[in-house]
Amino acid sequence: MIGIGGAGVVGSRVAETLRLFSHQQICVYDTEQIIAQRLAGRLSGGEYQISVVDRNAMKSAKVVVLCGPSPHFSIAKELLDASVSVVSTSDDIADCLNLLTLSQLAIENKATLIVGAASSPGMSGLLVRHLAESFDSIDEVHVALHGTGGPACARQHHRALSGQSIGWHDGEWLRRPAGSGRELCWFPEPVGAYDCYRGELPDPLLIKRAFPELERVTGRVTATRRDRVFSRVPMMIPPQAEGGMGGLRVEVRGMKSGARLVDVIAVAERVGQVAGVVAASTAHAIVTNKIDKPGAHVLGDKSMPNSWLVSQICGAGINLHSFVRA
Amino acid sequence: MKFIRRVLLAVSVASAVAGVIRFKGKGVGAIKQGGWRKVTDPKQN
Repeated sequence: MIGIGGAGVVGSRVAETLRLFSHQQICVYDTEQIIAQRLAGRLSGGEYQISVVDRNAMKSAKVVVLCGPSPHFSIAKELLDASVSVVSTSDDIADCLNLLTLSQLAIENKATLIVGAASSPGMSGLLVRHLAESFDSIDEVHVALHGTGGPACARQHHRALSGQSIGWHDGEWLRRPAGSGRELCWFPEPVGAYDCYRGELPDPLLIKRAFPELERVTGRVTATRRDRVFSRVPMMIPPQAEGGMGGLRVEVRGMKSGARLVDVIAVAERVGQVAGVVAASTAHAIVTNKIDKPGAHVLGDKSMPNSWLVSQICGAGINLHSFVRA
Repeated sequence: MKFIRRVLLAVSVASAVAGVIRFKGKGVGAIKQGGWRKVTDPKQN
């Protein structure tokens, strides 16, 4: 049985994707039970059974996908203590770092913890590994994200523009004010070109963990003038139920056949949809023992079945776009 | 009163300049070199 913690935008997409992968036994937990019941009612039927459970009942699942707002640390610790594998979609730096400290606990309980299995982080790591295979060696990765998933993701995006961005630069972690460092990034249509700024994203930390050979890693988010001006005050307008079309762009630089090469790959899709499909594919990999190594891991790491995951994600309807020069 | 008039004049001139730059500005056009190709099979990329 697979558990889903959080029945919002990402949780719904996880449930839909798990149904696509023919998982018949799914349990859902949400702090607001009515939301979980609505999701179960919408997707249950035929041979597919989605049951609404309480937090303790999640411990009977083989793997639980945490899709609620961060932090995920305490619930992940509870689940790992009960030998339940965990897939976390957290996109908060502190939470991701705390989750990585649970590696020893996961090993002791023979469970697997996947940290940052969403769009950014998550899909970004998979795309880096996908591009890295066509290089002899890579040394730079630059990630840019456009759009938000559900309301919790929108709040995280708001916070990401007001904190401190962290990036790996020539052997050291550099902290820069989020919202600085404008760079025009092109995303596939219908997203197009957007100004991107440094953001408090966990991507550089997790990508550097998966690719220790990298010399430079940055993470940026798109933002308008209004986003940047109001990022330092609390959100005055409540976020929408789901953000519009989003995009994820991964630029990899390295060497191939003795020449310097830059390659770009991107996704243009709703961020919640990408996050849901990535998290569900990761949970599916754990259930089918494609991922069976205990401990805390990040997507894109050599020990992960990255190619298989990308195939599953593409099979679930997420299209990849490669930038080709004229 | 004179001060308020000056402030209003400054604000209206600034708005007019900003409006001209915003609407007459060149803006971002389409990509002139290269473009996006859909990757149908990830292994082919």
